[in-house]
Amino acid sequence: MRSSEPIIHIDPELCTGCRRCAAVCPVDAIIGEPGRPQEVDAHRCVICGQCVQICTAYAPDHLEPADGLKAKRLQRGQLPSVREPLFAAYSTGQALGVKRALADSALYKVVQCAPAIRVSLAEEFGLPLGTLTPGKMAAALRRLKFDRIYDTNFGADVTIMEEGTELIGRVMSGERLPMFTSCCPAWVKHAETAAPELLDHLSSCKSPMQMVGALVKTYGAKQDGVDPAKIYSVAVMPCTCKEFECSREEMEVDGLREVDVVITTRELAHLIKDAGIDFMNLPDESFDSPLGLYSGAGSIFGVTGGVMEAAIRTGYELVTHETIPNLQLDFVRGEEGLRTATVQLGELELKVAVVAGLKYVSAILNQVKAGQCPYHFIEVMGCPEGCVSGGGQPKLLLETMRKSAYQARKSSVYRHDSHQQVRKSHENPAIIKLYKDFLGEPLGHVPHHLLHTTYQSREKAVSPISAGREGGRI
Amino acid sequence: MNHASSNSLVIAEAAKCIGCKACELACFAVHNRDNGVGTAVGTVTMPVLPRLYVIRTDSFTMPVQCRQCENAPCAGACPVQAIRQQDGVIAIDAEACIGCKACALACPFGAISLYKAYSGGAELPQPLLQERRDSKLQRKTRITAYKCDLCRNTEIPGGSAAGGDAGGRGASAAAAQDRNPYPACVAVCPEKALQLVEVGTGSSRSLNREGVIF
Repeated sequence: MRSSEPIIHIDPELCTGCRRCAAVCPVDAIIGEPGRPQEVDAHRCVICGQCVQICTAYAPDHLEPADGLKAKRLQRGQLPSVREPLFAAYSTGQALGVKRALADSALYKVVQCAPAIRVSLAEEFGLPLGTLTPGKMAAALRRLKFDRIYDTNFGADVTIMEEGTELIGRVMSGERLPMFTSCCPAWVKHAETAAPELLDHLSSCKSPMQMVGALVKTYGAKQDGVDPAKIYSVAVMPCTCKEFECSREEMEVDGLREVDVVITTRELAHLIKDAGIDFMNLPDESFDSPLGLYSGAGSIFGVTGGVMEAAIRTGYELVTHETIPNLQLDFVRGEEGLRTATVQLGELELKVAVVAGLKYVSAILNQVKAGQCPYHFIEVMGCPEGCVSGGGQPKLLLETMRKSAYQARKSSVYRHDSHQQVRKSHENPAIIKLYKDFLGEPLGHVPHHLLHTTYQSREKAVSPISAGREGGRI
Repeated sequence: MNHASSNSLVIAEAAKCIGCKACELACFAVHNRDNGVGTAVGTVTMPVLPRLYVIRTDSFTMPVQCRQCENAPCAGACPVQAIRQQDGVIAIDAEACIGCKACALACPFGAISLYKAYSGGAELPQPLLQERRDSKLQRKTRITAYKCDLCRNTEIPGGSAAGGDAGGRGASAAAAQDRNPYPACVAVCPEKALQLVEVGTGSSRSLNREGVIF
């Protein structure tokens, strides 16, 4: 089973033991002495890839025999055409397999892209930080010979329908509160490892990526008249943990993997360059229907607070049956590790919290364990600014650019939302049609079968619940 | 001579350096914008060629780079006058360099390296010589000497803000010379182990020690 193989590695031949990776690791999973090669504790590791982002210990090409570098690229699952430098901390890639599958005419190749890809992919081609390129991205995927260009944003809209309904149900009945989001696989793995007794507080919703995967091989296959067994389902994610998520045993629909393989933003750029596609001069093209049509609410899942904002836009209207007065919910936007707010939904006073970065979650988990958590709904994202700062996103050469890079990507996500005609998930015509024709009611029988999941304890004898050490090296 | 007329230099404090090589990477990035090197690692199509080097011993790590020698031996050794004192920096004219290695041999600090020259991210061919590669004759790649130029004529995005309080008393002198207030290596060092300093000439060594940490 692929999920048992580690995804995050530190190359002992390249690691200088500076331990900057240990300082950014939110769960203390990097072990070693200063000045010596570090190791990753696969049990604790949440595969968020922040170590991959910060590592600056590169392989000096001029000192290494070229064959050694080639072997390293192969070991890392990189295409032989990749020329960028190799760093000590890395995630194994899947681009070689995807390239092979794209050349296989017997497969029906379907791709979905996370909200945070379109605001960062262009950086890999030298365009300014945060340049928004949904149209070029769709065009590039079509040139790569994908048969259908779908979108994880569509799945984000489905998530709001399911998770929003689930939340309202739990609040009304007062059961299993607070409810945590379950979109971020690093957070889910951390909860399973550090707080297994709280797993029934997680929303039972699969992540948007898995929802799209499940729909691609059922609803999408039916729409396209394709045998689901012939569908090769690829997801492009800003996240190194998504490959782990798609490999989880339970992520199957009718005996088929929902998502066959995940590649990162960086790997998509490698594939585009490898195919000789001139990304800069591509025309803007559209996503395919129906699983490529999304609302502004779906697109803000890429930033911290986005799931919360999207949920409130829909939740407000479902509860009050009135139009929400303001769509830009500044009180959940921002970059602090923990933000809280109270939202008036008619008679209901909904208390919410947004956690950005897993090191801020342990205090909340302790509150929940003690039965003293005042919130109804808590969004948790493993990475410091949500998916825009994910471990699979373009890696910066200069640490001094990190703040402005995240800021530019975030602004771009919000700009994309503000330019959408439909900005609420429940008003997305493709979503309305999906429920009418295929899913029925949110939380109904078909959604339960396709879109919801269960979690498993990964507890070891010693629980790392006390994780959350502030950055700093030993 | 007075203090302002001496060349500034970047020095490192070994006790602070953690050996992460962020300085090397930043140095490479800001010097290769013409080679298509942008802000993301994915824009790099050439080897990382820094102009400073993190050295390692059993007990410490520390970046070492050009001291901008007042009587630069590299300049004296250069047979084609490709190394000159310009605006407070000992600078190599890459186009004039013949790759003879005399400067690298003359440098007492090992701060000069010879690498392939790149143009637009691809190896730059040498106009006259050929060599046999892959069983056919091909233009030899041009080789050039590289060393620290205190980020003269480079842009360091986000650098000045992050430079913060680094740089000490050298900062005002550097600003007065109308170049980046901090070289890229100083700006990115997560441990603030690097400093841009100016050592006065015509003063006693005990006074100089105020600005230099050894």
